[in-house]
Amino acid sequence: MIEFKLTPAQKQMKDLTHWFAANEMRPISMLSDKLGKVPDEWLDKVNKMGITLAAGGGMGGSGTGSGSSGSKKDDADVDPEVKRQTNRTTVIAAEEVGWGDPAIALTLPGPGLGGPPVQGSGTPEQKQRFLSMFTKDKPRWGAYALTEPEAGSDVSNIRTTAKKVDGGYVINGQKIFITNGGRASWVVVFATVDRSAGRAGHRAFVVEQGTPGFRCSRLAHKMGMRASETAELVFEDCFVPDANLLGGEEYYAKRAEGKTGFQVAMATFDNTRPVVAAMATGIAQAAYDYTLDFVRKEYPKSGRLYQMACEKLADMEQTIRAGRLLTWEAAWKADIGQPNSKEAAMCKAYAGKNALEVCETCLELLGPAGIDGHIVEKLYRDVKVYDIFEGTNQVQHLIVARRLYDAFELRI
Amino acid sequence: MISFRPTEEEKQFADVARDFAVEIREAARDCEEAARPSDKLARKAEELGFTVMELPESADGLELPLVSQAQVLESLCFGDLGVVQGFAGPADADSLLRTAAAAGLDKLAPGLGTAPSAFVDALQGESLPQETLRFETANGGYRLSGTSRPVRGVKFAQRLFVAVADDAGQPAVVVLDPSSNGSAPWRVVEGDVRLGLLTAGVGRAAFADVEVPDEAVVAIGDSAAEWLTAARARIQVLQAARSVGAMQAAVDYATMYTAGRKAFGQEIAKFQGVSFTVADMAIETAAARNLVLYAAAQLDAGEEGGVQSARLAAARASRSLRFVTSNGVQLLGGHGFVQDYPVEKWMRDGQAQAVLYGRETERLIEFGEALLGKGGASA
Repeated sequence: MIEFKLTPAQKQMKDLTHWFAANEMRPISMLSDKLGKVPDEWLDKVNKMGITLAAGGGMGGSGTGSGSSGSKKDDADVDPEVKRQTNRTTVIAAEEVGWGDPAIALTLPGPGLGGPPVQGSGTPEQKQRFLSMFTKDKPRWGAYALTEPEAGSDVSNIRTTAKKVDGGYVINGQKIFITNGGRASWVVVFATVDRSAGRAGHRAFVVEQGTPGFRCSRLAHKMGMRASETAELVFEDCFVPDANLLGGEEYYAKRAEGKTGFQVAMATFDNTRPVVAAMATGIAQAAYDYTLDFVRKEYPKSGRLYQMACEKLADMEQTIRAGRLLTWEAAWKADIGQPNSKEAAMCKAYAGKNALEVCETCLELLGPAGIDGHIVEKLYRDVKVYDIFEGTNQVQHLIVARRLYDAFELRI
Repeated sequence: MISFRPTEEEKQFADVARDFAVEIREAARDCEEAARPSDKLARKAEELGFTVMELPESADGLELPLVSQAQVLESLCFGDLGVVQGFAGPADADSLLRTAAAAGLDKLAPGLGTAPSAFVDALQGESLPQETLRFETANGGYRLSGTSRPVRGVKFAQRLFVAVADDAGQPAVVVLDPSSNGSAPWRVVEGDVRLGLLTAGVGRAAFADVEVPDEAVVAIGDSAAEWLTAARARIQVLQAARSVGAMQAAVDYATMYTAGRKAFGQEIAKFQGVSFTVADMAIETAAARNLVLYAAAQLDAGEEGGVQSARLAAARASRSLRFVTSNGVQLLGGHGFVQDYPVEKWMRDGQAQAVLYGRETERLIEFGEALLGKGGASA
């Protein structure tokens, strides 16, 4: 039955996350933007509270699952639509942390975007090693390194190499735009063992901090999301043991015609794009809520400005809601185990682009005062990247179009 | 729970509608030429129950939830929006009858059943002077005069529901039937409609000092206002669902065409200017559909935000319909402009649909006024 009601557990998660966003994140939002980092003592505090970043945006307590699908045990003999709501719950929570502060949200301790590939493709031993370290004693991060200077949207063109040697691989290359890449305890790194093999040559490795030959060469300065660390990573003859090949050698041998490292990366996107879309929606909602409050307090109750505000507020509400519903639909499809790459791309394309437009409209309603000390200008700077990372808007369009033309067996 | 899965019954009913839509599309040009749906299609629509989905059971209707109707209407209009808009029956008055009991008019619906009707809503948004109806007290009753704006179904209607303000500014709902000698108390002004929805019986209703007895005024004042608000929200959702069906038709047709059409040695789908436009059309359609379903679910559940959600769904559907059907023509190039292909009709019908059901901007302003409080009232 088509319906849009949150379950009691989802409502509780939403309320709890919103409380955290409003009372813990928002008070340090403008300060963190100014500092270009989230204060260490705050990160230590929230980590002790058990707050972590799950699956690239969702917030969870220690020990809660990531945003990927539920356990196999859960799948037996139950309707997955009812039993497995992890993706839906994750996007609901992600919207709230996006509302609080998107840069701080991405800095919350936890495995971040590195979590889903480890969870989805790692061996039991790897999952234990890399996912159990996120404990309350000190904040730790995971990271996900795919993008390179010459391979952004075209991730199949990665040039970082992994050369097989006795006992492991030697990695050489450079990665850019890696969220939490400098502070991460480990990074999931995508490299190719054979460029001529194309995507089939891709492998995913977990490279741990302190590994000889692995270093963070620079932190990027950005127009927005300034409190979030964006790192450049360099790998120079970096030896990584076989045990850190995600899924192990057997995984690739057995799946010679199955999942490649590239497909691991793409499957991750199908789970994380709705989360990114949800955060963009949260940013738009934050700008809207702030502006609605401003209009209620400052605007006249009739006349030209009032009419303009009525129309623009309605238009924004409609836009935000449409993005939220597209995101829920993509998450729902993932929960019920159906392919969702089209829906994931749709919600990301829509929410990423339109969240920026909502912030623009909010700035217009705030007028000239909007550039001075209002959080909306920060949200405007922050939100732009949501139309870029995890695949640009254009890449999302390409994915949507490809899925549409699949019905006509036309590869575009 | 958040779910986008239709029930089995909804799927089955929508499948029947989708099968029927094939026939509708095949006959759409002929119907447009004849300026009404063929008897065969009209009869079948009636037999399958598509014209009484909104009517309450007390009026021999199916009384389906809006969520179910939205899916069926989308499937039907995938065939052709214009033809579906021309199916006789209570037309948009069905939502008035559906909400009558809740407005305290328990006995209204059973008596006014399934006759071909039209709903002249002179209170929806602001009227221009030339389309303002006057409803004045006279001779112990009322007198109705003026000519309405163009309304769907007026040409086919045997009964009119008229929403109008009396000389004290109170909203009223009037039901007009032909007199015992069969002559209607209104005159149909057919006008010169060429844009679209040519099969939908669009016309103006002209009233020349029509004497309206008290018993024909079925609601007045606050009760009429509340009733109209509830009915309009349902109409907005149901019309928006029809629009989504037309959008999906344009998306699918443009995808199919561009997958097969070649230029510069390859399928034009391989040019991103083309494929990205198709993607935008698909995204826009999905966004509009979800807003419709969301509003429908809220209204079905009797939630407070339902009326506001319906306004947003209606406004978005108008915008999306124009965007998607216009791009449908664009992607077919010159072929899109000529009547050998259906997309030009869908674009014309889409634009007609968008203007017939009120100004998109007005819906948005209504939403904003309710949000902020009209005229300074507390929100």
